[in-house]
Amino acid sequence: MADYSKHGGGGISWPSRARLALAISAGKLAGASGRLFRIGGGTSLPGMIARRIDPNVLRSVMAATTASKIVITGSNGKTTTARMTAAIADASGRRVSHNRTGSNLLQGVTSVVVNYADVFGRLDSDLLLFEIDEGTMPVAMPEIQPDVVVVTNIFRDQLDRYGELYSVAKALDKLLERLPETATIVLNGNDPQVASFGQQARAKKLYFGLRTTDIGRPVPEHAADVIRCIRCNEDLVYEVAYLSHLGLYRCPNCGYELPPLDVAATSIQLDPRGDGPTQVTMQTPLGQLELTLPLPGVHNVYNAAAAIAASIAAGFGIEKVPAALSNIRTAFGRLEKIQAGDQTIYLAFVKNPTSFNLVLRLIAQHPGEKHLLLVASNTVVDGEDFAWLWDVDLEEISPQVADVICSGTKAEELAMRLKYAEVPLDRVRVIHEREAALNAALQNAGPGGTLYIMASYTPTQELRRIMQKRGWVKPYWEE
Amino acid sequence: MTNEQGKDTRLVLRIGHLYPQLMSVAADRGNLFAIVKRCKWRGIKTAIDQIFVKQTPDFTQYDLILFHGGADREMEVAARDLQAKAPSLREAAEANTVFLAVCAGYQLLGHSYKPFEGPELKGVGILDLHTEGGSTRFMTHIAIECEFPECGKQVLVGYENHSGRTYLGPGAQPLGRVLAGWGNNGKDGYEGAVYKNVFGTYLHGPVLPKNPWFTDLLITRALARRYGQVELPPLDDSTEQEAHAAAFKLAMAFKGTVSAIDATPWRERLSPGSASRSL
Repeated sequence: MADYSKHGGGGISWPSRARLALAISAGKLAGASGRLFRIGGGTSLPGMIARRIDPNVLRSVMAATTASKIVITGSNGKTTTARMTAAIADASGRRVSHNRTGSNLLQGVTSVVVNYADVFGRLDSDLLLFEIDEGTMPVAMPEIQPDVVVVTNIFRDQLDRYGELYSVAKALDKLLERLPETATIVLNGNDPQVASFGQQARAKKLYFGLRTTDIGRPVPEHAADVIRCIRCNEDLVYEVAYLSHLGLYRCPNCGYELPPLDVAATSIQLDPRGDGPTQVTMQTPLGQLELTLPLPGVHNVYNAAAAIAASIAAGFGIEKVPAALSNIRTAFGRLEKIQAGDQTIYLAFVKNPTSFNLVLRLIAQHPGEKHLLLVASNTVVDGEDFAWLWDVDLEEISPQVADVICSGTKAEELAMRLKYAEVPLDRVRVIHEREAALNAALQNAGPGGTLYIMASYTPTQELRRIMQKRGWVKPYWEE
Repeated sequence: MTNEQGKDTRLVLRIGHLYPQLMSVAADRGNLFAIVKRCKWRGIKTAIDQIFVKQTPDFTQYDLILFHGGADREMEVAARDLQAKAPSLREAAEANTVFLAVCAGYQLLGHSYKPFEGPELKGVGILDLHTEGGSTRFMTHIAIECEFPECGKQVLVGYENHSGRTYLGPGAQPLGRVLAGWGNNGKDGYEGAVYKNVFGTYLHGPVLPKNPWFTDLLITRALARRYGQVELPPLDDSTEQEAHAAAFKLAMAFKGTVSAIDATPWRERLSPGSASRSL
């Protein structure tokens, strides 16, 4: 086994080829049975099985392909940015392979090649698109050797897994330094930390972001993570903050400021009801774009800017961007609107204060009282430490709350959080069992009513599986 | 319904919230919420001052001072700034002001903090302890047993996430005995530190909402400074007790693990959807 890792790609020996073929076949079989038995379709299982048989499976397939490789990482927005990039590539006539369900740990990333390659490890794609968890980057990057790396943003996320914010950022920056000069790094210029990446890198850099005073707040909100200067630790001064610590910033002490943006949203009109499309003017090195984004919220403007920058870096041009982005649909669980008989469900996967607060702010703009189902569970993918619930501004929605069902292994913590956000106790109920919780919440919403679900990753999948059985949604791997 | 405003008692609790943005890494603002709401529900007003870098208020004016956690980088900024605040903070501690210091805040109330890499940081020296950075991080659920004259033996639950190893000198008492988790240094079986009304702990969670007995102890001692002994009317704590019980169960289930994430059974890594852990 030890000599196995020495194989780079090129002249793969016969025993190695046989092992690779076995690994890919077994992975494909595992994915197929997973779908057959409806336990989750080909998201991480194929990659996991294949890696057990051949730990080099991803490295071998990557070394052999001539397709361009885009990696998208960061705390928030990976899945939607990847979907938008895929849509642009697809509209531009590229054949795309992509871990589109957001299974972004090493197994999920490996599943992409297992699912798309033939048993000889050959890929019939022009573009390989990988969404990768920031903590998985150190192991995934050397195996993939990407041409383009997009960093969407770095928020406080899963401290229980990665220790602290700066160690994640430092590790990521180190990886970017190792990229060759033929590669391109696409960075969020509005994120003071991300914008500082790659100073020592040989690769080209492209910055994306927002540059407008149409929207935003004068100072970053409380849950903002990086509001001190990356270089000298002085408090940054913001002309405007768009989302947490993302904005137009400058250090009054050392002069560090946001870099010139290559792809910039310079005019933004958000839907005042938080539910409809956004009108965006986007400046790019290849010309100006007028876009209608069907997905609401400022975060989706970031996702679009990142996807456009990635597309430019990968050489797709921008001609097909408006059409591709006008048809984009929400990824599963991203404030996904679901018709459940005569009732409407908004399903939001929330994993950190930033994403939770975004969703709360959007739905606070929807008219009327809110019926909520909140679900949090501690599992390996959701994390163990749910302290961050106290950084969620539930106070902003508590006056609108008609009733709440709390579920998941962290249901008691959620109920307590709501109590301290001054949601009256008689409006809050804890129901651990997932289906019973959904039923009770739908009953609360009443005939023709609307239910808002905010859930961590595992419960989002569990709830979606229930809705799938009821015919309200398609399986997420078919989305 | 307990979460309504209580009848006005004309009591005011003065709170100093130290570095509310700089040191706020693990949503510890929940501690402030717990104090404010449990006062409000009993008709006790709270007046909160946010205290930032470069400000040097008279800390003896506060009944209660909160000082929370931050990453090493923030800690450096705080440590440098603290030296100007230190004399007044020490005076407040000697004058029986209540302190709740969590994680990095706890470490900085000690004599010094030596990170695993980088230069040593000087603390305030209110708590007789020093901290050294370790190579591994304790990231897991924790439960400790405390004993105070007001409330007898009680359990604190929370989550710890620190690489620092803290060693107490003779001038500080431990806050509690570790039932599950690692505590100060993972060796001596103790967690946190107490000196007069100064409480330091590694417990995040945040610590106060799930441990209402501890919140009430802090409020009572903080009020006693200016109002003498005040009997706090009991609240309906059933929601808090359920959260406490759930956290205690978790701490016991993860006993002995350095990182709760790594300890989660491998089967759940396979497919998050298929091996769900529904209760």
